[in-house]
Amino acid sequence: MSHETTDHATDHATDNATGDACGCPEYAALSRRGLLRGTLLAGGVAGASASAMFGSAFMETSYAATRSAPRVLVVLSMRGAVDGMSLVVPHGDPVYAKARPRIAIPGESLLAANGFFGLHPEMAPLLPLWQSGKVAAVHATGLPVPNRSHFAAMEEVEDADPGTTRRVGWLNRLVGRDSYEHPLQAIQLGAAAPPTSLIGPSHVAAVQQIKDMKLSGHDKWDTKNRRPRSMNTMWRRTGGPLGAGARRALRAVDDFAPVRNGAATPRNGASYPGNSSLGDALAAAARTIRGDVGAEVITIDHGSWDHHDNLGTLAWGQMQSMTREFSQALAAFFTDLGGLASKVTVVTLSEFGRRTRENANYGLDHGHGNVMLLLGAGVKGGYYGTWPGLTNTADADLLVTTDYRSVLAEVITQRLGASPAAVFPRFSPTPVGAVLSR
Amino acid sequence: MTHGDGTAVSSPADEVGTPGLTRRGLAAAAVGSVGTAVVGATAGEAAAGRRYRPRRYRATKIPGSATRHALTRFSYGWTPQLQRQVAKAGGFNRWFDRQLSGSYSDGWYRTTADWWPTTNASRDRLVGMVDSGALSSFWQVDINYQRWVLARRTRSHRQVQELMAEFWEHHFHIPAQGLVGPYRVSYGKKLRSLALGRFDALLPAAVLHPAMALYLSNANSSRSAPNEDLGRELLELHTVGRGNYTERDVRDSARLLTGYRVDKWRTWRYTYDTAHHWTGRVSIVGFTHPNAAPDGRDALRAYLRHLAHHPATARRIAHKLAVRFISDDPPASVVDMLTRVYLANDTRIAPVLRALVRSPAFRSARMRKVRTPDEDLVATYRALNARLQRPRGNSAAADGIVWQARTLGNMPYEWGSPDGRPDTADAWSSTARFLGSLDVHYMMCGGWWPNEHIAYRRRRAWLPRKSLRFAKFVDHLSRRMLGRSSTSTMLQAACEATGCQPWTVITPDHRVMKWELPRLLTVFLDSPYHMKR
Repeated sequence: MSHETTDHATDHATDNATGDACGCPEYAALSRRGLLRGTLLAGGVAGASASAMFGSAFMETSYAATRSAPRVLVVLSMRGAVDGMSLVVPHGDPVYAKARPRIAIPGESLLAANGFFGLHPEMAPLLPLWQSGKVAAVHATGLPVPNRSHFAAMEEVEDADPGTTRRVGWLNRLVGRDSYEHPLQAIQLGAAAPPTSLIGPSHVAAVQQIKDMKLSGHDKWDTKNRRPRSMNTMWRRTGGPLGAGARRALRAVDDFAPVRNGAATPRNGASYPGNSSLGDALAAAARTIRGDVGAEVITIDHGSWDHHDNLGTLAWGQMQSMTREFSQALAAFFTDLGGLASKVTVVTLSEFGRRTRENANYGLDHGHGNVMLLLGAGVKGGYYGTWPGLTNTADADLLVTTDYRSVLAEVITQRLGASPAAVFPRFSPTPVGAVLSR
Repeated sequence: MTHGDGTAVSSPADEVGTPGLTRRGLAAAAVGSVGTAVVGATAGEAAAGRRYRPRRYRATKIPGSATRHALTRFSYGWTPQLQRQVAKAGGFNRWFDRQLSGSYSDGWYRTTADWWPTTNASRDRLVGMVDSGALSSFWQVDINYQRWVLARRTRSHRQVQELMAEFWEHHFHIPAQGLVGPYRVSYGKKLRSLALGRFDALLPAAVLHPAMALYLSNANSSRSAPNEDLGRELLELHTVGRGNYTERDVRDSARLLTGYRVDKWRTWRYTYDTAHHWTGRVSIVGFTHPNAAPDGRDALRAYLRHLAHHPATARRIAHKLAVRFISDDPPASVVDMLTRVYLANDTRIAPVLRALVRSPAFRSARMRKVRTPDEDLVATYRALNARLQRPRGNSAAADGIVWQARTLGNMPYEWGSPDGRPDTADAWSSTARFLGSLDVHYMMCGGWWPNEHIAYRRRRAWLPRKSLRFAKFVDHLSRRMLGRSSTSTMLQAACEATGCQPWTVITPDHRVMKWELPRLLTVFLDSPYHMKR
């Protein structure tokens, strides 16, 4: 570093009473972590750090500012509305095959079939999990009132608070249930724009790829932490979502280090599907969970499952190829987690299901009832839900007999110890039985 | 000088301290959760305010704040060149009228169209390229399209037309992801050509385009089983919007749309086949038609005309324009006013835009919008005067620009569902977006990436004089890049980023000019003044 010219010219009007360019010692001695904590902490856990100078580099011991998340909920949104009757097939309902002469999946090819339900054959990678009792399928779930608009239904599912116009997502309420506030408590993986379920006052993060979670310019040459300091100054007082987002990012980026520095290679021989955004996101989720940075909620979007045409058959089409990718990715995720799988529960969700009767394009139009899958820790495997019976008319779809919130309520109560009343206002859940008691 | 714990400070002059700001002061200045605007200033901050009192470098001209505001909304980023175009036109309103009437050169559009072999290729030529294996898939055609739209926005003299082309392409969104065969480029060109015209011309152009027929399944729909996909989104997304139609309307909408076909297996020809058209009476949101003829296209056009002029459509378009150009939550009064203008002008767009820029709601909505990822990216090119050149080879900037957009969180027209990418601060304020923006800004400020077939300003060109004080240099840079004078926060951040003091004399030989200019330039782009508009 060259020495600064600091002559005080006449046009320099700063009130520089101290006459030197160095500020207070405490300020200079704050390590980067301490500095970020000090400026950005919004209540909750204060991170203390002790720093010592060796040459010009900070060597710091930092007391973790993130708490560990003892249990993790992964919410996988199957965007575009998956056909639940192709994933978990109600072969015992005679209307199913009649309504779908070309795309119905024959009963004899189903996996894990009982007298009524069976799984799509491309779900084979998940069969070991199923057989060990770690997968539950709850059928005929959904919104209480049909809504065939993707966008209105998605908003309603993720807001989960009918009767208010405030845009706060149910997962945001979930992580906001205690005094702990940290953007890494809930992370959207694989996309920069958070889903509605995460929107709200509690701090959350979005990560496209783990390697992107870095503060550019804060590199090995930035020995004096100039970059984070100047950014904290710049964004300290900016209002609105971007100001809040900037401060959260500056805070999150530091505490994400254990994940960023963790090995990128999947563990335990896990093999994610190639060229798959879902596989990439789930691999990132496994790394994030291993990094133990306090992520209690992870959201992942996958789709489009909006198969108005070319949903197809077992031999061709989007359903078979996407179900294969979906199942391979989830199976790899649980393999990758190894022992950590004992704390991770996955829930799959769509905005609605699809019509009972196939259309002329080997596809299905928008419907209502759907299947939800629960996988992993605390799940009581098997088929659940009350089957309403199908009707074979042009406009008929699967009726909803279980409000989707009842399924979610059971998960958050039994797994995370949350109160459903705070997360799903004005809603009384009915028991589903797919999750083990705490 | 020693610290309390006995460690030595390297060089006093390198430490940017804030007199009087102690740990306690820092804690007091802690910022709360969502939406915090201003917290009480501490004594330390007051001292910092005095220390970092901004200086003015008036030789670098900036527009008035109202003009700057209008230009950041109606261009892809203020530049000195844009300012000259406005001055020459005689002020913003005249410039805006000239923009709306297509008076400025479209040379840049034509120049950049030549940069990729797929941009001006005919349908048959594109199909041939994919069939022969010259291109691996139509996805490659579409990614070149994404590159082209970004390149167009960086230097077009027709900024308003480009903005409105983007607006309509999001309104009638079709992902540029290789989903619609050879048709995505021609779809974009078509909408751009109509972008400043009338909605009742845009609507049929979009809805009846083969790209839309393919994306929303209408090319497969038939009289025996009308596919609902397009029939529904036409009502929900393109025209009257949620709450203004019933499931019965969707059904008849789908029926009336039947008859179109695309030969997806061979020629990709787009045809109308009366054998596939559903005939019979339809009744949709106040439109009724016997629809008895085998060829339903006249009935369909009448239906689209009805939708374009429908008050609910007017309101939806008015609201969307207000969200795009005013704020995420525009006042109902301005939406009402724009709705009336739209209807009174027979769905013409230009009068609506003129009314919008003259509204008090627009004038008072400064810095209320967060730039979307692709807007931030293009504005970065413009602020740095980084000029794309014809791409050659594999790592040209004009090709790499889409990967930059991905880093920021959204490639143009990449959004996966037919509602198009969101246009609100909530969607684009995440950790990923913020850190992605900072990364792209810094790489470009250094000229490190992209760095092939792109012209950056010479570093020396950023210094307006042989020698000036840092505070004035900061003001010059703020004026040059953002079109506004510097603030105390900017000066403090710039000092902290570089280890300079406000009174430090900067010369071409100063370390900031020799080594650390990227660390300084990026401060301006990494600011709310660049990431918002």
